[in-house]
Amino acid sequence: MSEYPSKIKTRKYFITAILLFIVQMLLGLIMSVDVLARDSSTNLPLTFDILKALHLNLMVLWLLLGFIGGLYYLLPAEAGRDIKHPRLIDIQFWSLLLIGIGIIISEIFFTGRNWWLVEGREYLEAGRFWDILLTAGLLSVVYNVIATIFESRNKLSSPILVLAAGAIGSILMYVPGEIWFDSIVAAEYFRWWVVHYWVEASFELIAAGVIALILLAMTQVRREIIEKYLAIEVALILLTGIIGQGHHYYWIGTPGIWIFLGGLFSALEPVPLFLMVWSAYKDLKENKKPIPNKVVLYMIIGATLGNFVGAGLWGFIHTLPQINFFTHGTQITSSHAHFATPGTYLLLVIGIAYLAIPEISGRLDFSHYRGKIGFWLLVIGFLNMIIALMIAGVIQVYQQRIEGLSFMSVQNTLFPYFEWRLIGGLIAFAGGLLIAYDLILISTIKVKTERNNINKEI
Amino acid sequence: MNNNRLILIGLLIPAILMIPFSIISFYTDFANRNPDPLSVTVDFDQNAYNAVEGKKAFEQYQCMDCHTIVGNGAYFAPDLTTVYKRIGENDAALSNFILSGASAKGMQPMRDRGMTEDDAYRITAFLKYANMLDTNGWPGAGSWERDGNPDSTSAKKLDFFDIWQVVSGIVFINVLIFAIILAYENKKNDREA
Ligand code: HEC
Ligand code: HEM
Ligand SMILES: [Fe+2]
Repeated sequence: MSEYPSKIKTRKYFITAILLFIVQMLLGLIMSVDVLARDSSTNLPLTFDILKALHLNLMVLWLLLGFIGGLYYLLPAEAGRDIKHPRLIDIQFWSLLLIGIGIIISEIFFTGRNWWLVEGREYLEAGRFWDILLTAGLLSVVYNVIATIFESRNKLSSPILVLAAGAIGSILMYVPGEIWFDSIVAAEYFRWWVVHYWVEASFELIAAGVIALILLAMTQVRREIIEKYLAIEVALILLTGIIGQGHHYYWIGTPGIWIFLGGLFSALEPVPLFLMVWSAYKDLKENKKPIPNKVVLYMIIGATLGNFVGAGLWGFIHTLPQINFFTHGTQITSSHAHFATPGTYLLLVIGIAYLAIPEISGRLDFSHYRGKIGFWLLVIGFLNMIIALMIAGVIQVYQQRIEGLSFMSVQNTLFPYFEWRLIGGLIAFAGGLLIAYDLILISTIKVKTERNNINKEI
Repeated sequence: MNNNRLILIGLLIPAILMIPFSIISFYTDFANRNPDPLSVTVDFDQNAYNAVEGKKAFEQYQCMDCHTIVGNGAYFAPDLTTVYKRIGENDAALSNFILSGASAKGMQPMRDRGMTEDDAYRITAFLKYANMLDTNGWPGAGSWERDGNPDSTSAKKLDFFDIWQVVSGIVFINVLIFAIILAYENKKNDREA
């Protein structure tokens, strides 16, 4: 079917990622009902904190699955050889899935009961036990990637280097977040290394690398041009993002130098994100070759725009310390988080899935209809949610942080906007379901014909 | 310039700068700025409970996934950085609130999670310590401060007629979004035709 047989093994990564995304949205919907009927959740086994923990942890899991799948899928063509240890691809998948199930069970049954199983720090809720397993699993992925790169026939190209750096960075940055500190200041300092250095450095490198590889594969723009832009983007992402970390250090008990450093560097973070939009726009405009896979194109354009607007602009509006003093810990943060994360990484993962699954299944002629509708439903749904949360955030800042009303009375004022958010969530959920259905459809039909072929060959 | 060298420079310059910045941050945390969590204690029944044990319990019971602490966490419940002051520095009231929760407003009684009185006292010590941090003035003072009592506002019940207040906003935003979608799809069709 393909010159790189291990590609077929990545299919389950994408399908599982998209299914976990559906579950994540379902948890989000339940939480948004919780906010509207606060007495409902306290009687259920899934209280708000458990839902929120799973909402975040499942997201981390499917992001990792999507990225690892994408890495394994894109690497062989660049390296000019198949993955070094194809069996590991399967083993890693099942171990990640088992770890995920372990995390879910721990959250539901052991929250508050065992610190080794549930650590309860936002994003790092998975207890120490799961952290160690997860780190080991991710290290084996890095090993497999590096082993493949070392024996590659081609010279190391920059997109692959950037991807590998992003993958290694993600794991390295996970470790400091796991160190125990007596001081909440030190603990938060390093917890943000995980969160910020993932989404604004390592994952951003993976995104830039993947977008560059997809543009290389789909267009006939010269490789040097794409690689030059990639290098400039990546250099700027790191230059601004690493010290831009300071925007999480304004109010956590760290010294005042961060107000200057964080404000200055994080305010520059949108620059490379704009460059990514601009270079993609230029590449696509220059390109004469027709692009058959329209769905991937939608997702990639969506991801670059979502990255610039959701991360860059929505980040910029609350990144300056003078503003962040008021917006910190309000619905403004939530609005930004629901723009930047799905806008960039969800669309990217779906984009890779739409690139990989039709090729693996040999169904390059798949109908684009459902993918496009699903894309627009996601856009409509998330934009409704983002706008609703943004307005809610402005009201919350005014009433709670300026007028000084109590938290709960402000929550009551925000009710209509939380209802609006729920509507947005439902629309996005429909889009997610449609895309999951479409991807499963594309991937399964061919399985039968493949078996037939194998039978024929035998 | 060579691409890989450019990337390496982009990585190394800020990464190296992070070393002194981190050292300064940790030095000030331990030295003069914030209290040592081991030395912040509350007393109950002649026992002293310290903020380090409290931090571990705070994590274990996952307070941070409903509440925020130093502004980080979830936005379902009030920030706990200065709750110690808000509640009138009343250790007994605070530990009691943690154990009994506020079911009608979304906080499960922590007793239901198997929380012991000892853990509640430890968390009280931790919240005392959180209130002593030098957070560059965040979250500032405000009339939300109360004396010794939890927030008396009760949570609103779900009422679908609320939504009418935002219907015009919903309609406006969605017309805008549809206009963008139509414009994009039409332009693309023109180009392809
Ligand atoms: C399921 C979500 C949830 C969890 C978990 C939770 N809380 Fe709460 N908590 C709330 C809500 C909602 C309120 C607001 C109730 C009110 O205003 O009376 C609240 C109120 C409080 C208050 C009073 C705040 C004030 O301003 O008066 C304190 C103190 C508190 N929680 C401490 C904790 C601690 C400590 C933990 C962890 C052991 C914790 N909570 C876990 C939801 C939660
Ligand atoms: C794709 C890239 C990005 C993603 C996925 C992302 C995601 C997030 C998420 C999930 C949070 C919430 C953390 C929490 O729950 O406490 C957050 C917070 C924040 N983000 Fe981003 N972000 C991105 C890029 C940016 C950029 C480029 C900027 C600045 C220009 C920025 C500025 C901020 C700030 C200031 C906060 C802290 C808000 C607060 O707690 O006060 N983000 N981001
Ligand atoms: Fe950040």
